[in-house]
Amino acid sequence: MAVDYIYVEVILRAYRKYFLNKFLWFLVTLVSAFLLNFILPRLMPGDPVAAIVSRLAQGMSNTSGIQAIYEQYTELFGTNKPLLEQFVIYVKNVVQGDFGFSFSQYPRTVADVIKSSIWWTIALQFPAIIVGWLIGNSLGALAAYLRGSFDKVFMPISIFASNLPAFGMAVILMVVFAVTLKWFPTSGGYGFDLIPNFSWKFIWSVIVHYQLPFWSIVLITIGGQAIGMRSMSIYELNADYVKYSRFMGIKDRKIVSYVFRNAMLPQITGLALSIGTMVGGALVAEIIFSYPGLGSTILTAVLGQDYPLISAATLIITIMVLSANFLIEIVYGFLDPRIKAVQAD
Amino acid sequence: MKKVLYILSLLVIASLMLTACGGGATPTPAAEEAATEAPAATEAPAAEEPATEAPTAEEPADPNELPRNETLYFNGQQWGPVVGWNPYSNSNNNAMAIAQQDNARVIMFETPYLYNMLDGKQYPLLADGDYTWNDEKTEVTFKIKAAAKWSDGTPVTAEDVAYTWATHVKWPTPTGEANKDYIETIEAKDAQTVVIKAKLGADGKAVNPLLVNAYLSSNYVIQKAWTQTLEARSADVTAFLADPAEDVVYSGPYHKFFADDTKVVYVRDENYWGQDASMWGKLPAPRYLAHTIFKDNAAGTTALQAGEVDVSQQFNSNVQDLWLKDNLPISTYLPEAPYGIGASLPTAFFNPDSYGLDQVAVRKAIAIAVDYPTIIANAMTNQSATFDQVPRSLMNPTAGEQATYDQAAVQDLQWAGNDIEGAKALLDEAGIVDTDGDGWREYNGQKLTYVATCPNGWSDWQAAIEVVAAAGKEIGIDITTNYPEWSVYQTVVTKSDAALPEGYDIFMMWSDGAGPTQPWSRIRRLMSSEYIGMASNWNGNWGKYSNPEADKLIQAIPVESDPAKLKEMYTELVKIYLTDVPSFTLMYRPQAFHTVNESVWTNFPHDGDGTNPPVPPLDLTDGWSIAGLYNLTLVNP
Repeated sequence: MAVDYIYVEVILRAYRKYFLNKFLWFLVTLVSAFLLNFILPRLMPGDPVAAIVSRLAQGMSNTSGIQAIYEQYTELFGTNKPLLEQFVIYVKNVVQGDFGFSFSQYPRTVADVIKSSIWWTIALQFPAIIVGWLIGNSLGALAAYLRGSFDKVFMPISIFASNLPAFGMAVILMVVFAVTLKWFPTSGGYGFDLIPNFSWKFIWSVIVHYQLPFWSIVLITIGGQAIGMRSMSIYELNADYVKYSRFMGIKDRKIVSYVFRNAMLPQITGLALSIGTMVGGALVAEIIFSYPGLGSTILTAVLGQDYPLISAATLIITIMVLSANFLIEIVYGFLDPRIKAVQAD
Repeated sequence: MKKVLYILSLLVIASLMLTACGGGATPTPAAEEAATEAPAATEAPAAEEPATEAPTAEEPADPNELPRNETLYFNGQQWGPVVGWNPYSNSNNNAMAIAQQDNARVIMFETPYLYNMLDGKQYPLLADGDYTWNDEKTEVTFKIKAAAKWSDGTPVTAEDVAYTWATHVKWPTPTGEANKDYIETIEAKDAQTVVIKAKLGADGKAVNPLLVNAYLSSNYVIQKAWTQTLEARSADVTAFLADPAEDVVYSGPYHKFFADDTKVVYVRDENYWGQDASMWGKLPAPRYLAHTIFKDNAAGTTALQAGEVDVSQQFNSNVQDLWLKDNLPISTYLPEAPYGIGASLPTAFFNPDSYGLDQVAVRKAIAIAVDYPTIIANAMTNQSATFDQVPRSLMNPTAGEQATYDQAAVQDLQWAGNDIEGAKALLDEAGIVDTDGDGWREYNGQKLTYVATCPNGWSDWQAAIEVVAAAGKEIGIDITTNYPEWSVYQTVVTKSDAALPEGYDIFMMWSDGAGPTQPWSRIRRLMSSEYIGMASNWNGNWGKYSNPEADKLIQAIPVESDPAKLKEMYTELVKIYLTDVPSFTLMYRPQAFHTVNESVWTNFPHDGDGTNPPVPPLDLTDGWSIAGLYNLTLVNP
């Protein structure tokens, strides 16, 4: 009893140390990323307020008038203040959940811009990554297990697909299925003649518009995942425990499930990371299919030097990547006996 | 395991379908809004109208669907989501509804007059009859139509016009800032009569009567009562201008129906005052105006080809292929090149601080050596008149502007390009020759080497700049190209209080298009030295050219009314411009691209369509071109 208790105590302490360690690193990375998110966009050459003034000054013929507007907006956006002061104000506002006005879509707030576009991105990317990951891993494991002609055909296709740039895949799908065959629409998130509502017609339109951007992401994900999974599975299939299991006469199905579980570990990390980076990854599909979403919002923000919008969007990506990583490390702590052992030493 | 995976995959696919619906359904608040607005359209007393005019108006509208044969689709105007409906502000990103400019967009808000770029005249809209200057030329008087009504049913009055101006000055808005140097006050003499008092100079004359005229067709009349509501809820000018104004009262034929990140839709006001006999006599044909937000020109062109766009205001490369090769029912204002009416002059500016560019011979040699036919064929895919068709001056190709100067008097100074030998002779004559035998010319022993530039991604401009660089090589001047991002480019060239940095020896910017103050305003922006020294110069003369003689003429034109004298002055300015070559036009560009797909709607404005006054090819939304909305008919009624 007493021994057990001490053992549990040691394990718990090890875990606490492990989690605390990971959490501290999470915080350190978050703070530095936050700093960079603020500073980097502002180091770009150019003046975003000048861009806004250009929009406002169209058709204006009086010189002092334009100057007055310029000053009014530098004051409003605080770009005339020293960088340090801007940062202090920014931190104060962000802590209260206020990301300020978007420069490029002024007077819309950053929160409003992100709120209206992020759901499109999540609805497109999250399922696409999961489906691509599941199909890719199953096919990769299958290729490793079956080998032979399946592998010989499947491997080159996977390598080809995974190396195809995302825009290439999107353009191919668009030309073949939308322009030539006319099976799917070329652009938009829903029918050009519809207003969003809860009717079957609208939902069906969303589903139809969803297909091409969705598959352009899935097809590329499948290739990459399959290659990784195939290599991992081949490695595991040659491991001693597999041979030993075979000698023991354990059924093939059982062995495959062992192999799958072991080969999965690095793939899970990959999944977590791709979910973390999905906002950035959405860019290509969104632009080519004129699909609404955060990816194209970020692109517009960068081109328009929309500091607050860039900072907020990159902050979201940072937090998503960091949280995904942190969660994976925690899960690994429980799953992988090797990590447990190191901590207990 | 495989079975588990299989089931898992099925579950995920099912869940993604649900998420997709969830995602699509997020803009539901807007949908509800649309639903509440829709009945307004059905409540309209459509019965008053002749059934043949708008038979569909009597059917109840499905708020969730835009019937194809009641909707006119646009592209090329709206990039990014609409952010507001506030006519006092310029930052609504609401291109179709709010654009106070030379050819003001009048689908929702209206100006007293409508400018017609084809005949250069201003036609009354809210105003009743022409405006008149008093004998001293110090004030303008016009009347407001008795039939003109706001969307809330109250009449548009002279008091609204006066209060709009007072508000522009009080807050101060971009419009107020832009015009207060020229307009003293706007007063309501009685309910229908408006008097605009021009700002007077030391000589007791109006500072700039031209800009007072322009105000009448470029600025909206906004309701006094609504303005007071807006003022009451605005703490300061920033709040006043940032107000999204969803409750705004308007006088135009269309208003908001729906807007989200993917599109904006306007619906016709069935009670629109303009159906009175004193204005249009009927309602505009399309019940809805809609604009899908495309990510780029390519997506817009694809939609135009697919028949999902009726009126295209964007550059469609090789537009003639759409009907010649693809056999689509697509056309432009003119059936042959240049397909549209050129209105603005994209221009290459010289930086006089660059070594050797202070020499007229160098500037002129580069300008006459450039292969303009190639620019027009490649960069504009022939959507510009050539300089053989319209010889260069400071005027755009419209007949009205061409008539403002004496073409014969400047004939010797004009060039059509590709004059390599002429350019070489010019340089040789000035002693700018290749002295060290490296193939490049030197000026006072220093090699002439320049960078020509324009914003990255502006493909037609980039193609033009490449041709300029190629011309340099032909005549022994080393010109390379460089394309910074627009966000950087614009801050560099608009900083007129400092020397341009390296890499901006020859650079492109735009010039004014067509408008009631043209060609004066374009000339001012190309040549006037008043912009030198501004920290943020969005007006023009980015090459910082300074010529007191030109400045004097530019100041004198607005107060001159003798046509003969005006012609003399304009001719003189063209002479100075073509002699000094501070900048040079690379191509002609239309005020707005105007390509139409006639698979659903027809009777769009085309050259020689018999309309009188002629409807200009400006998308049926800008200035007098809105008259085109009343002429549209369905291909299959």
